[in-house]
Amino acid sequence: MKKIIISLFTILALFSCKNEPQNLVKIQGKLLPVSEEITSKKEITDFIQPYKQKVESEMNTVLSFTEIDLVRTDGELESSLGNLMADLCFKRANPVFNSRTGKNIDFALFNYGGIRAGITKGDIKTENAFQLMPFENSLVVVELTADKIKELVNYLIAEQRAHPVSKQFNLKISKNGYDLNINNKPFDNSKTYYVLTSDYLQNGGDNMIFLKNPVNIENLDYKVRNAIIDFFKETDTVKVTLDGRFKTEK
Amino acid sequence: MKRRNFIQQSSAAAAFLTLGGLSLESFAKKTTKHITILHTNDVHSHIEPFPADHYKSPNLGGVARRATLVENIRKENPNTLLLDAGDIFQGTPYFNFYGGELEFKLMSMLKYDAATIGNHDFDNGIDGLYAQLPHAQFDFLSANYDFKNTVLNTHVKPYKIFIKDGIKIGVFGLGIKLTGLVDPRMFKETNYLDPVEIAQDMSRILKENEKCDLVICLSHLGYNYKTDKIGDLELASKTKNIDLIIGGHTHTFLPKPTITKNSVGENVLVNQVGCYGLNVGRIDFYFDSDKNVASKGKSIIV
Repeated sequence: MKKIIISLFTILALFSCKNEPQNLVKIQGKLLPVSEEITSKKEITDFIQPYKQKVESEMNTVLSFTEIDLVRTDGELESSLGNLMADLCFKRANPVFNSRTGKNIDFALFNYGGIRAGITKGDIKTENAFQLMPFENSLVVVELTADKIKELVNYLIAEQRAHPVSKQFNLKISKNGYDLNINNKPFDNSKTYYVLTSDYLQNGGDNMIFLKNPVNIENLDYKVRNAIIDFFKETDTVKVTLDGRFKTEK
Repeated sequence: MKRRNFIQQSSAAAAFLTLGGLSLESFAKKTTKHITILHTNDVHSHIEPFPADHYKSPNLGGVARRATLVENIRKENPNTLLLDAGDIFQGTPYFNFYGGELEFKLMSMLKYDAATIGNHDFDNGIDGLYAQLPHAQFDFLSANYDFKNTVLNTHVKPYKIFIKDGIKIGVFGLGIKLTGLVDPRMFKETNYLDPVEIAQDMSRILKENEKCDLVICLSHLGYNYKTDKIGDLELASKTKNIDLIIGGHTHTFLPKPTITKNSVGENVLVNQVGCYGLNVGRIDFYFDSDKNVASKGKSIIV
């Protein structure tokens, strides 16, 4: 008898469990910071170790030095890091372009989103170049018509972001329009311009569609990251200024 | 039979039942169940903590610390899911050197249950992502990327249903429009489908057909946009039957989850925890079989 009751009990319990409808009655949400108070799990640290050793030995090489934090957010429509990146790519790429074509690049343009990490003041290591430019993109020079340059300007005005441009490109946005100088000369409607950028942007990345279908295109077979590393190697201390190359006139 | 005897015997039965994974409580009038959802987004290959002298996030993050954090929560509540909202790849030399192998292996060690695909997960091309899949012991979910004409065909599921303590949890993935964001040579013939339409379909399938108790959207659309680009808040307002949207892409740091309304005026939670593994989001769901409690509706504490 007891046994029967117990089994009956069991069956009932199982049965009632399966069929009990569950209603969501309470939700609680919170943020858990991964702070230094949390002990690292040794199994994970040990697993990372061999990967880390290989990466570190290459990444810790000191290439250059900066006296200030280089970031993309210290100006309004320009930044220390954006100016540096555009100028150094121009500096490294122009000799390559010139030796191949006999021509010179007019200016460089990249995208704000492409600046992936800032550089803390102090030594600049190979690691910084990888963090700044983790992508495998290469430098390209596109020959653009004056109409495409106008589209480029309109894009920059509409975006209102500190998209990096090199110092040869001076754009002042005013209430009535804009004032554009390239290489200290007013923008010329009758000529084409050579613009240095990355293959990513040339392919329509970040919606820079004016870079698509240029008059001519020259792929420099020079990775953006390698240009950065090469520049740092030849530069003892990096000097950058916010020079108002791209700004809104107040 | 004496009553005392009966009580003793039924306790024995209860002990037996507990071993079988059920407690006597489940026989009582009401039961309470507890599901914990942990989530990350945009970890971007950040394996180690930031250095102590970092200008923005000194001494924060790190996979080995995240492992401890997750493990402790799983000890506290075994009915836990760990999810990632995409952009696992790209951001440290670990990715440049190993192509995502280490990221996937570590996520597998942390027992991630599922992840969706972010735009940067295409950075070594769709073939680069495919090549790393053997290192991932968790599922990739994406309902609005049609991979039919790519190598990822059949390797990515639109959704997955998890059952924890008898609670059915449906999780589906959504990805951002790739054109204009990712080089077409990278995503190849991946076909982007409208996330709102797909989310409406998915939530209907999971709630009505699959009878899920909980529906979670793992999204890499981004939190919210001033333009007409679709973000998580807009997605929430145009769908129903989704309980939680776990977001990514915009690296939005929400100190607490956002509570917003869906298309029928019910509450939806939207959460996103910044980037680089600096934080883990935690959402606890409590279920009750007691009709009286349920009729009072759900309370949300954030």
